[in-house]
Amino acid sequence: MIRYYYYHIFYVGMMNIMVLVPYVLISHRFDGAVSSFPLAIVFGTVYSYVTSAFFQRFPGLGLPEIYKLFLPVWLANCLNMVGVVIWCTAGIIVLFSYSNTVGIFFDPEASSYLNLAIMAAASLWAASRTSRSVQFTHEVLLIVSTPIILWILFKALFSHWLDWDAIRLVADAGIRKPPSMVCLFAASFVFSGHMNITLFNRLNPKDLKFRLRWTIPIVGTFFLLVSFFVPIGFHGTQAVGNYLYVWSVTTDSLMMKYGFIQRVLYLFLLLYTFLSLVFVMNTWHTGMEFFKACFKKYKPATDEVNVPAINWWICGVLAGLTFVYAYFTNDIFNRVAAELWLVTRFIIESILIVLLLVFLVMKKKGYMKRIDDQHERRSGGASR
Amino acid sequence: MLEKVKEILGTPSDFTAETMDNGYAKMQICFFPGMCDMDQLKDAIIVPFSYRFDPDEFRRLLHTSIGFMKDVPPEKWVDFLLKGYVIIEYEGEVFLFRAIRRMQTKPDQTQVEASLQGPQSAFTENLDLNLTLVRNLYNIPELAVENFEPQNQSKSKIALLYDRAKRNETTLEEVRKRLRDLDSGLLLSAGQLAKKISQAKYRLFPITQITERPDRLSIHLNKGKLAVLMDGSRFAILLPVHFFDFMYAMDDHYEPSWMSRFLIGLRYVSMMLTLMLPALYISIVSYNPEVFRVQLAFTIDGSRAAVPYPSFIEVLLMLFMIEALIEASLRLPRSVGSTAATVGGLILGQAAQQAGLVSSIMIIVTSVVAISNFVIPNSTFSYFIRILKYAFVIVAVFAGLVGVVVGLFMLVVYLCNMRSFGEPYFALFQSKAGKASDKIQ
Repeated sequence: MIRYYYYHIFYVGMMNIMVLVPYVLISHRFDGAVSSFPLAIVFGTVYSYVTSAFFQRFPGLGLPEIYKLFLPVWLANCLNMVGVVIWCTAGIIVLFSYSNTVGIFFDPEASSYLNLAIMAAASLWAASRTSRSVQFTHEVLLIVSTPIILWILFKALFSHWLDWDAIRLVADAGIRKPPSMVCLFAASFVFSGHMNITLFNRLNPKDLKFRLRWTIPIVGTFFLLVSFFVPIGFHGTQAVGNYLYVWSVTTDSLMMKYGFIQRVLYLFLLLYTFLSLVFVMNTWHTGMEFFKACFKKYKPATDEVNVPAINWWICGVLAGLTFVYAYFTNDIFNRVAAELWLVTRFIIESILIVLLLVFLVMKKKGYMKRIDDQHERRSGGASR
Repeated sequence: MLEKVKEILGTPSDFTAETMDNGYAKMQICFFPGMCDMDQLKDAIIVPFSYRFDPDEFRRLLHTSIGFMKDVPPEKWVDFLLKGYVIIEYEGEVFLFRAIRRMQTKPDQTQVEASLQGPQSAFTENLDLNLTLVRNLYNIPELAVENFEPQNQSKSKIALLYDRAKRNETTLEEVRKRLRDLDSGLLLSAGQLAKKISQAKYRLFPITQITERPDRLSIHLNKGKLAVLMDGSRFAILLPVHFFDFMYAMDDHYEPSWMSRFLIGLRYVSMMLTLMLPALYISIVSYNPEVFRVQLAFTIDGSRAAVPYPSFIEVLLMLFMIEALIEASLRLPRSVGSTAATVGGLILGQAAQQAGLVSSIMIIVTSVVAISNFVIPNSTFSYFIRILKYAFVIVAVFAGLVGVVVGLFMLVVYLCNMRSFGEPYFALFQSKAGKASDKIQ
């Protein structure tokens, strides 16, 4: 079961490209991006250690249930709503920027709303499933796409078009500058896969041991360095600043000698379609569950036989919001929004970490409400 | 007794109802000669009653032999008669004698799920023989058999099999409930029964597996799952099943491990091909020819030079042709079948391309789709895949390559969301197939 935890770590590491993390970092490449990396690695690692250690002590409980154990209802609901906003906006931003990317590279003539509509419909449907189904989907798609994405990344790393001089130059110049806050916020996103445990901890069994946690900094650092340095190596220190979807352009510099497809770009984009949809599915699903947790009657369930109608409504609203967002925004504004989101995310994550530590202290001192009837989680064995 | 029976049955001409008199005693007897085993009847009743007659011995025979049933309520008589029982009345007492004519006495040859080196025997249309076959392979005391007799027009006996030590109680209870609640109407085959107990009508994938192989059934039971056998059908229903079970041929358990792994891989690749290829053809030709390397894009476009309509019409045309050909050769008698295949092959082959109706690449696509579809070892499953490819074709017509990929995503979500009698249908690393097969060897 621990593997599900690492799936999240892995895919968020790969997803950073679609949340415009490389763009933010590269635009600050001469003033403090590189020097913020060590900080980001430290923060990311510490945070994931804290969350995993915390949730290990509350097996089978998601964050909303834990709020209820320690906080008055109104405060718990407020915190839940903060979670809803931060999760759902992530999905919306990714959905918009990805459907735009696809529009640019696949069919520039088609209406951009067509792509958005298809993807929003798919995400709506996927996110409204039960937590367990979402987890299975995540696993399958990740296992299918990760090897090929890693292959593309390594192909880029070992390509002889990669100019190591440019990379050395940027690294050398960047490390001497004081770290920039925005870059720290953006870079720490790569490590934030552990946040998915806030919901999916509901599916974790009692005796779950978080083994192999030392891999988190390694995986995160790898993806962080690759997604920052490889575009610089391909485009040079200056030209790399010209692109918004910098990784799409980077993979377009790669070529496959054999096989049907020559431009790696297309393979890359198709794989990232999967990953982006999985990302939207996860974020919206988490947002949806957090929202549902605000209601009094709500009982956390992870594998209902029939999906409740409210799931459809919430995800439908999210899909509608994506269209509204797409109507009022453009690439430039989306860039600002993504940057803003990255900053907010880090701040909220930090607050959450402090809160979790406070909860741990409270638990030790015995300020915990009774765990009421433990709900009937994992009842699973329903018909069909 | 005879009057009562005739009252309900009328006097069908394939029915015998007589009073026999051997000079010492009288006996009323009635039965359907066509449904009864006459040798058995002669040995058990006619001979002792006629020229070996001894009143004491005959009475003792009727009361002690396990072939005779006493005290059956009169309203049930006709039901038994219709199953091939013989009813006799002797000295005011009514006995039912089981003399059902068995059409099959030896196991069938496998026809649908052929195996190269595995057992060649398959289930028959006789429930008792089928149970024997299962017991032979799965010879442990924990094997439990429960009988169900639905109150519908065919009244075929249904047997539910499971391993008492390994079964899952919730699933078992659910299946029992569904078997008890079978509605009226004719129940003719295992496929129909499977449809009825899976309940949801518009599912895209089967949640029960139908098999004719006792060895597959035994492996399934050994995993702690259930099987349903039905009298009059040479197929068993296995449940609950996983997506991956459908891609196993029984040979995979009997062949060298590397070979079977390779073959399983081949099957998955074929499944993806038959599912996606027409859709990919449409989306690449009509939307994104630049995805392919330049030479290949030119080749495809060049071969389409003579074709006067868009790619999706071409695809639909050829898919219609191939589906019609498959359907025709399936239903035709064997002597005509080869003619149909030849004619169809000619049309699908050179002629259509030379006439400029379809491109030569499309012919390759069509044949790959057809051949790959036959690679899937389970016929129900391959039907579902066959129909599902049209969904992808439709998506490709309207949304191109991105649509196909998003469609694939939705397919994965759909599969992951499916449960087969409470068990996840498409979850990785949860099947214990390997372990179970080890035990059986």
